[in-house]
Amino acid sequence: MIGNIRDLARKWLEDKEVDAIFALREQNGYLAPYLFTNVDKLGSMEISTQYRLSYTCRPSKENILSLMQRKEPSTRIGIVARGCEERALIELAKRSQIDLGKTKIMGIACTQEEAIECKCERPYPDNLVLGQKVEGVSQDENVDALLNKSITERLAFWRYQFSKCIKCYGCRNACPMCFCKDCKMEQGVFTETGWLPPEIPMFLFIRFSHISERCIWCGECEKACPVDIPLLTLFKLLRRDIKDLFDYEAGMDMTQEAPLLTTLDEMPMKEELASGI
Amino acid sequence: MVEFEPKILAFCCNWCSYRGADLAGISRIKYPPNVRIIRVMCSGRVEPEFVVKALSSGADGVLVLGCHIGDCHYIYGNHRTAKRMAILQRLLGYLGIEPSRLRLEWVSAAEGSRFSKIVTEFTSEIKRLGPNPLKNITLQNPTILRDEKR
Amino acid sequence: MEYKNILTTCPYCGAGCGFYLQVIDGELVGVLPCKSHPVSQGKLCIKGWNAHEFVGSPDRLTKPLIKRDTGFTVASWDEALSTVAKKFKECEESHGPDSFAVLSSAKCTNEENYLMMKFTRAVLGTNNIDHCARLCHASTVVGLVQSFGSGAMTNSIRELEDADCILIIGSNTAEQHPLIARYILRAKEKGAKLIVVDPRAITLVQFADYHLRQRPGTDVAVLNGFMSVILNDGLEDKDFIKERTEGIEELKKTVEKYTPEHVEEITHIPKDKLIDAARTYAKAEHASIIYSMGITQHTTGVDNVISTANLAMLTGNVGKPSTGVNPLRGQNNVQGACDMGALPNVYSGYQSVTDEKTRAKFENAWKVKLPEKPGATVVEMMNEAMKGNIKAMYIMGENPMISDPDIGHVREALKSLKFLVVQDIFLTETAQLADVVFPAVSYAEKEGTFTSTERLVQMVRKAIKPLGESKADWQIICDLAQAMGSKEFEYGSPAEVMNEVTSLTPSYGGITYERLQRGGLQWPCPSKEHPGTPYLHKEKFARADGKGKFLGIEFKEPAELPDEEYPFILTTGRTMFHFHTGTMTRRTSLLNKEVPTGYVEIAPADAKRLAIIKGEFVLIQTRRGQIKIKALITERVSEGIIFIPFHFAECAANVLTNPALDPVAKIPEYKVCAAKIEKVQGTSSY
Repeated sequence: MIGNIRDLARKWLEDKEVDAIFALREQNGYLAPYLFTNVDKLGSMEISTQYRLSYTCRPSKENILSLMQRKEPSTRIGIVARGCEERALIELAKRSQIDLGKTKIMGIACTQEEAIECKCERPYPDNLVLGQKVEGVSQDENVDALLNKSITERLAFWRYQFSKCIKCYGCRNACPMCFCKDCKMEQGVFTETGWLPPEIPMFLFIRFSHISERCIWCGECEKACPVDIPLLTLFKLLRRDIKDLFDYEAGMDMTQEAPLLTTLDEMPMKEELASGI
Repeated sequence: MVEFEPKILAFCCNWCSYRGADLAGISRIKYPPNVRIIRVMCSGRVEPEFVVKALSSGADGVLVLGCHIGDCHYIYGNHRTAKRMAILQRLLGYLGIEPSRLRLEWVSAAEGSRFSKIVTEFTSEIKRLGPNPLKNITLQNPTILRDEKR
Repeated sequence: MEYKNILTTCPYCGAGCGFYLQVIDGELVGVLPCKSHPVSQGKLCIKGWNAHEFVGSPDRLTKPLIKRDTGFTVASWDEALSTVAKKFKECEESHGPDSFAVLSSAKCTNEENYLMMKFTRAVLGTNNIDHCARLCHASTVVGLVQSFGSGAMTNSIRELEDADCILIIGSNTAEQHPLIARYILRAKEKGAKLIVVDPRAITLVQFADYHLRQRPGTDVAVLNGFMSVILNDGLEDKDFIKERTEGIEELKKTVEKYTPEHVEEITHIPKDKLIDAARTYAKAEHASIIYSMGITQHTTGVDNVISTANLAMLTGNVGKPSTGVNPLRGQNNVQGACDMGALPNVYSGYQSVTDEKTRAKFENAWKVKLPEKPGATVVEMMNEAMKGNIKAMYIMGENPMISDPDIGHVREALKSLKFLVVQDIFLTETAQLADVVFPAVSYAEKEGTFTSTERLVQMVRKAIKPLGESKADWQIICDLAQAMGSKEFEYGSPAEVMNEVTSLTPSYGGITYERLQRGGLQWPCPSKEHPGTPYLHKEKFARADGKGKFLGIEFKEPAELPDEEYPFILTTGRTMFHFHTGTMTRRTSLLNKEVPTGYVEIAPADAKRLAIIKGEFVLIQTRRGQIKIKALITERVSEGIIFIPFHFAECAANVLTNPALDPVAKIPEYKVCAAKIEKVQGTSSY
């Protein structure tokens, strides 16, 4: 698989289809994102589920791709992207964070093992260039466990989970969809600053609420959490609800506008599900 | 035992619902005294954080009242509210807070009696649910007393 | 366009987390956690996530400064170096080598500390070198050497995850070593018992099975109480004691007096709680002790440390995975700075300066005669400067004007010097007093190694070019040594320095840059084939006879106790959101947003009695000085105790602290002094 990717990357670079390729590089046994501009270096190109190639830089709060595009607007960047990364790119473009016109996506499929490891429901990109599609994993024991809890048990569960929070902002920092310049999580008016644990449930609630319709379920937030708070569980549930309510999924269709940015006329809400409101 | 008297916070939009509440008062229509009103320019101004802040600061229930769909002073403000609150209710449920502690209703400036009816219904619903468990968590963290005034 | 990620080691606490610095065309744009790092595993704390921001601060020093009548003026490197060389020469000629004192830095790399140590001993000709380890873990080095023969964390951070019981005494782990707290919480989720002994209700107390809230400064009594319960119940590990230790009879004789009733009188910990906690610790298969400055920064610091070692040996919790006595070191490279011999009594690898064979080895390697007498420690240096015995000081990357106890005294001492050279990345409170300031570079602009609290030696890699004319500390030291005429400071790179370190330091013997490129190594690592040592004292202790030693320790009261005039106990420490003297964190926007300035924690009952409200400014006074500071009313402290974080120059806790020293380790008593609170009229922030 990696051989095919390197070959295609070489072809893209040699045919001047792109000026650079954004992918992972191996160095001394460590993997990290790297911008390949030289075909001679492609031998160190790797793929791994460890890193996602779409993340926001701090403190500028600018997506890495948009930062590169701003630095050199003329550079066309190829990007090796899995399903989740493709979804992130689409959603970012939809929200005017990056210019997809100047990028070329090399969509690759995840293996079955990778899909199981990430509990990913859609382990392939829409525009598959390399690899074989495998079945997604719809079962998530964390989600089932939460749904089986009574309302009181749920509160107790999250109370414990949130009280572990050490306010590293890692979930926000790792999230490709958290790019607001003025982040509400930082504002003392919502969460009193300087305290551990941060106000329960407000601090983490802000992210759940803001990312609910943007989340492309890459799981980076959960992986960045030093105290193992199962953040993705909630995002997966919200995603189901948003799909039921609006027939909308983040990161799938470039032309479909997000439900919270549209009126009821443009994107109606299913009445039967919204009953009680 | 003293009967539980819930604290209810109502966000009312300036153009319809607040006037509806006003009309209820002027018309001497009775409604439970448990409700406290915060006037906002539009129900679309109500951020989900406001609702959670209210609940964690001691409210037992939150009402969000706006103009009927089609009557919004800002044309589409209440469309956003409708969608946002639908998602918020579900999120509250997953977090372990009864979704029915949050209610969104449309009340026009002419609907004083509707305002009264909603408040009455909602108050008895919250009485049935009992005190909001979240306020104890946020305010009585075992290790941290955030502010002596609370 | 060039975009790359440079793997490096976090410059904040001693946990030694790994992250990438993201660089686009020579500009730092962010931090990316390293997912395959053994400790941080792709996670970081708030300080780590923002560790790149201060690097590009406009406050950075970019040119050498020389103080003239009109204040600081910019100078060339040549002028600055020759001025210092000339002054140092003059000073040596008229006052002798022991008129110098050097402060090395726990923030700098191993190579730089080694060079500073070599410069002090070989070029200046004195052993007057020390660094801030004196102020944090001097008691650990002295205490654990007496008990175990080695003064470092016995086990590894990751092993904590598999412990059955974790006893935390005097460490606010979740705030000061967040990524270590990660493993404590994981252990807890696997069913481990957690015992927290701390006068403050620290964050981890939420998860503790037992929180023993002792009166500050009574740790020896608490630990002796644990041991008396264990011995009384017969829960000690008799085989371990017999085979691996000596001195048990002496210990028994001492601790038997510390009955739970007696301990309750001293410490105010309810006796039943103490008994339950002691039994829980003793019955655990793998029990780990974690401690930090809460027990070391006392006049009884060494006693406290020895008592933790006694407790661990009594229950056989040494020399196995997930057990041990684990001091958490506060600075990224305080372990390394000690290992490199930036201490007045030892060369690198804790080889004594008074041992003739060792001295001969170093004299031979450095081709120079070396001083024999151990030098002065940090606080002693300040006292000697006051007396006029120390005339010139060279301070690298330290800020004693905030970090040392009784700052008023430090200011007088530094002012009474004839010549002060400071080498730093910012014009710190200390640098402002200097005659010459050398602009150094941050961790992002140089290469080297840091040694984390678990003895893990890791690479620091250069991500960007030095700002302006600033230079790496190792280069500055070499340049200065050469300006002073030494021929022994010709290194092309830090790797060459490390080769010299390994040739002279047995515990670092097998460490090379080539090996470190692929991951860190835990010392002792004596040879090129040795894989490193995750936990110490496996078969025998590092003491000469291979046995662990029990030492009976009696409880002593702190040097200054509250009285009618000063009725409160003042204790100091850090917060989650700032680091040490704030030089780096106070130049980081998000951290400043979280905690913009200092505060004093006052218990609600005390606040009520004194009619103090939240946010009001109060005057805190001790026998050393007074500061005006915002009040924070919280149950984190109990009645009669106040707490102040020491990061903030405008309300510096160390104006107040007591410079009374531990008699052996010479560590000051930051954690207990007597204070009073006064209201300041009309300054409420509301």
